Amino acid sequence: MLGPNQNSMALWLRLYAGIFFGFLYLPIGVLLVLSFNDSPVIGFPLRGFTFDWYHQVFNDSKFFIALFKSFSVGLVSSLIATALALMAALGLRKHFWGQQWVVPVMLIPIIIPGIVSGAVLLVFFGIAGVPYGLWTGALVAHVTWVLPFAFLTLYPRLAAFDQALEEAAMDLGASPWVVFKRIVFPLIKPAVIATVLFSFTLSFDEFVRTLFVIGAERTTPVYLWVLIVEQTAPFLPAAGVIIMLISVAVAAMGFWVSTTSSQAIERRSSSSRH
Amino acid sequence: MSEKQKPGISGGWLVAPAMVWLALFALAPLVFLVTVSFWTASMFGLTSSFSLQSYASLAGDSIYIRVLGNTVKIAILTTALSLLVSYPIALFLASLKGKRKMLFVILLFLPFWTSYVVRTFVWMPILGRSGLINATLMSMGIIDRPLDNLVFNEGAVYLGLVYVYTLYMTLPIYLALDKLDPALIEAANDLGASAWQTFRKIILPLTLPAVWSGCTMVFLLCCGAFVTPRLLGGPSSQMFGNIISSQFLDAGNWPLGAALSVVLMVVVMLSLYLASRRFGFQSLFMGRH
Repeated sequence: MLGPNQNSMALWLRLYAGIFFGFLYLPIGVLLVLSFNDSPVIGFPLRGFTFDWYHQVFNDSKFFIALFKSFSVGLVSSLIATALALMAALGLRKHFWGQQWVVPVMLIPIIIPGIVSGAVLLVFFGIAGVPYGLWTGALVAHVTWVLPFAFLTLYPRLAAFDQALEEAAMDLGASPWVVFKRIVFPLIKPAVIATVLFSFTLSFDEFVRTLFVIGAERTTPVYLWVLIVEQTAPFLPAAGVIIMLISVAVAAMGFWVSTTSSQAIERRSSSSRH
Repeated sequence: MSEKQKPGISGGWLVAPAMVWLALFALAPLVFLVTVSFWTASMFGLTSSFSLQSYASLAGDSIYIRVLGNTVKIAILTTALSLLVSYPIALFLASLKGKRKMLFVILLFLPFWTSYVVRTFVWMPILGRSGLINATLMSMGIIDRPLDNLVFNEGAVYLGLVYVYTLYMTLPIYLALDKLDPALIEAANDLGASAWQTFRKIILPLTLPAVWSGCTMVFLLCCGAFVTPRLLGGPSSQMFGNIISSQFLDAGNWPLGAALSVVLMVVVMLSLYLASRRFGFQSLFMGRH
């Protein structure tokens, strides 16, 4: 997008990009190096190479319990949020009373500062007498937080979807459910899977809202937080590296599914136009 | 377009489950919070009669006002810093093509997809007493005692906030730049515009809505910051989120915590209102189509 008389600018941008990505990845490199550093102090100078901290993490049952809880609540909340978001995105393509309020309401969880969202649910569950925990407060907090993002990912895909196919099927007498199952869903399936995966990563990393409503239970971010604040765990960098690898793996799957899906949709819509 | 009503499930019913969920778990709890902010707390629990006590103690203690002012200042400065850091990188990404572009976009995304608790924590072994910077400077012989003023201060909070939130600025700007019609820039070049003129007169105005949306997002996130000031800030650089959390998690004074949350919400809503007057509310979050 830069013109021919802007070569020097392109050079500056490249230089700047080097600095920027250095800034972005330096801390991650430091974390990786420290996770192998043979020293009980999380810091420098480096004292030698060890796998001890990874051994400690793998032998830490609390870490695995937290990991398991993060996975289960992440899976359930991303499925619920994606289902709610998908229905909303499908519904929004038609006209109905009060339609203009749907998107603003959808955005409320993004607008409310994280700390307030946590406080709000803490008070709500406290006064309602619902005990705090993973499957009460944390699940509700995660679905509510993830829902707008799932919606914002799915809505543009569905808004761009060619409704002529559906109308043709309806005219031929197919019921709405059959139209959805046979025509709409197969076309948007990759987008839906990608949304579930992205939602999962959001839930997997959620911390502030969870902290307020999870009670005595621990998801991985909450467990790591406790370790950081108590400053008693030299294996923290190793645990951090493992958590990062999991998030990156899930996000990479999401990327892969969503890029292949957009290519597939482009192929299909271009072939249907001919 | 005169479209006859198609048989099928009405859109309202499909939207309803999500709306009911949000009404129950986002709107109703907010109403609860505002209500509780007018209650009082004593050692025997909450008293549910109307009282302005929390707001009175909030207004009467200058520390709350000071921290609120400081929080807004940190949020504004972090937003400005993120914009400075993000715009050039968005230009860089938009100037790439094909596989390289894909690669760098993924490189940009990946760190932001990992735990921000970990990404904040990791600055401690970089800036701390036995951190990377001190160790490097000492081994080079530039200093002989570790510097203590690299972390636990406001500067470290800025660094940490920019580090965890800058993607929310980069992404909308990059998407807007990527959608720009190259013909516009070619035309400007053909007419003899300098790089700066092209940027100033064409690129910047066309990406302004995206800049605005990125600024809003980063500002909102900073207003609610809690982890970064707690881990990287000193006693004088704690933010409003830290005060709110200590009322709920340590002091157990729900009415005061609720009143503080209401104040933060009002600040956020006012800024959102001001921000949305220019380009509209939805475009702040969904871009302009």
